[in-house]
Amino acid sequence: MLGGEKPSWYRLDNAGVLYSALQKENYSPVYRFSAVMTEQVDPAALQRAVDRTLPRFPVFRMCLRRGAFWYYLEPNQRPGPFVRPDIANSCQPMRFGEEDGWMVRFFHYERRISLEVFHALSDGAGALVFFRTLLAAYLGELGHPVPPGEGLLDLEEPWTAEELEDAYARYAGPRVLRRGGQKKAFPNTSEPEPFYTLNVTIGFLPVDRLKEAARKYNASLTEYLAAVLLQSILENQQARTPRRPRPVALNVPINLRPWFPTRTLRNFITTLRLCIDPALGDYTFPEIVSYVHNYMRLHLNRQEMRAAFTGNVRFTTNRFLQLIPIFIKNPIMSLAYQCTGVVPYSATFTNPGPFPVPVEMAPHIHHVEVILGQATRPAPHCASISYGNIMAVTFAGTGMSSETERRFFTHLVKEGIPVKVESNRTAHRSGRD
Amino acid sequence: MSYCVNCGVELDPTAAFCPLCQTAVCNPVQPVDRESPTPFPTERREVPPASKRELAILISAMLASVSVCCGLLNLVLRAQRVWSLYVIGAAVMLWIWFVPPLLRRGRPLRCQVGINLLSVAVYVLMIARDVDGWSWYWFLALPILMVLSIIVLFLDFMLRQRQRSLLSSVTLLIGAAGVFPVGVEFFVDRYFQGEWTPGWSLVVLTICLALVIPLLVVRRVPSLREEARRRFHM
Repeated sequence: MLGGEKPSWYRLDNAGVLYSALQKENYSPVYRFSAVMTEQVDPAALQRAVDRTLPRFPVFRMCLRRGAFWYYLEPNQRPGPFVRPDIANSCQPMRFGEEDGWMVRFFHYERRISLEVFHALSDGAGALVFFRTLLAAYLGELGHPVPPGEGLLDLEEPWTAEELEDAYARYAGPRVLRRGGQKKAFPNTSEPEPFYTLNVTIGFLPVDRLKEAARKYNASLTEYLAAVLLQSILENQQARTPRRPRPVALNVPINLRPWFPTRTLRNFITTLRLCIDPALGDYTFPEIVSYVHNYMRLHLNRQEMRAAFTGNVRFTTNRFLQLIPIFIKNPIMSLAYQCTGVVPYSATFTNPGPFPVPVEMAPHIHHVEVILGQATRPAPHCASISYGNIMAVTFAGTGMSSETERRFFTHLVKEGIPVKVESNRTAHRSGRD
Repeated sequence: MSYCVNCGVELDPTAAFCPLCQTAVCNPVQPVDRESPTPFPTERREVPPASKRELAILISAMLASVSVCCGLLNLVLRAQRVWSLYVIGAAVMLWIWFVPPLLRRGRPLRCQVGINLLSVAVYVLMIARDVDGWSWYWFLALPILMVLSIIVLFLDFMLRQRQRSLLSSVTLLIGAAGVFPVGVEFFVDRYFQGEWTPGWSLVVLTICLALVIPLLVVRRVPSLREEARRRFHM
């Protein structure tokens, strides 16, 4: 199917079904990508860029509608979305019937352009293609034309059905991965801030120094940062001297596209659970890195990942489950997510990796940031992305404590990696647990 | 550029304190830059709380319309008895249960439950007045409502004071479901027979205890607890 034909509605993909069921009045699974440019942002040019780019990406032009048994996506014909001045408390909940049904937001502040996306529409990989194309269109509006290329869609070409395909359904296999029950993890929560306050702290690190440090442990950047985060949360738990220390587990989203080729811009991820159990004994930092390195090598294979997401696909295609009305299904899915997607984890760590751009764009972008929106509880999520030699590691959460990020960044400083920190925290009060 | 003396991280020139450890920045060579824009905007804007006003108005309209219709019907149908007051009273009670929680957010649950039980007590009082049943109201209905209130307040206290696991919460709920019939039978027997002869309520209590004891055992034995958590994804 080519662009120009207009289907009246779309099914949600597997992950979208879950994210829409989690939607509440004061919670939405939302994430944000930001690009800090080298010049002040021109809001009018940005709005023109949005208006030119959005028609090419029907995935992001959708609104969510409530059916009798499932939510579904419908093309959004209303005016907008409009670029707005940025706000201090980012990743606000997106409610389906409000803001004219738009599930994307665009902000500008000084030299920063930000895009917020509701997770039911797309994952990080899909959103980055959109974001990159938007930045190219914006630079084009400012008189710096950027030709289409790798990771950058041509705005003159129509969209294709491959960009909207449900890759989960396409690649679902015959076998389901039956995981045993997972132990409850240390929740790493702290006293919640008043609604709605998202504390964001970003640490900027040089990628070359980071790679040097990771190489010392024979680990990749992602493995090294995941190990540092595990170590930080372990120390958090130790500081609370619990009677029965719990496992510390990270939820690591994995982009499936390298293993299952697809041009889809919708969700296509699975997750990995990295877990250290202090009840088994003390772990040194090199041991943690080694565990993460070997665990990811062992479990990041096509067969296991396919079996993992096949189970979720079976859920949405089960005839019996399809007939359960949505008002019964949503609370059950929400509860199931709490039991299997929240309780067994201490935090989420996502690393979309480097943000490559065409050479024409490179001189106009200073660095890129990513923020994983609020969790379902007052605990920080961690996300990292690199542009050129700048790695931005972001902690975002609705808890008052800054201990996790403090331990994380001071560990890096002790390893000889210079860190610069920026934050939206305003209150000068103790952030200790 | 300033660095945090505690964490060792470089700070933004506009930072007055370290965002990681809240140590104040004190750099005589480079004072805090209060002129330049901060890395993040300072203006807060929040999505307004989701409006349930329309739903509240709809429910109010439905209940009001039922009350009015029954009131008018009472004028012609069995007009010697004001039976419509039962319907109107029930509509008012339902309004108190459903509409204020939609309009006023953030009210503690025990407050709302207290108001709900009070509305039930008033409604039953109305019935008692109509059928001249003061005796059963004061010695039967009201004591049962008070037992229910005490149990609900106890559950609210126990479940809210600490983060209870699913296992503990279920145990408390089943236990409460077993204790309540004992209270009901106590007051029923005292009212009708003058003395308490426990019977059916003990059966219910025994069943609930029989359900609770294995849950308590699972809760207490670490290996069983972990097994239950694994099997039931708790």
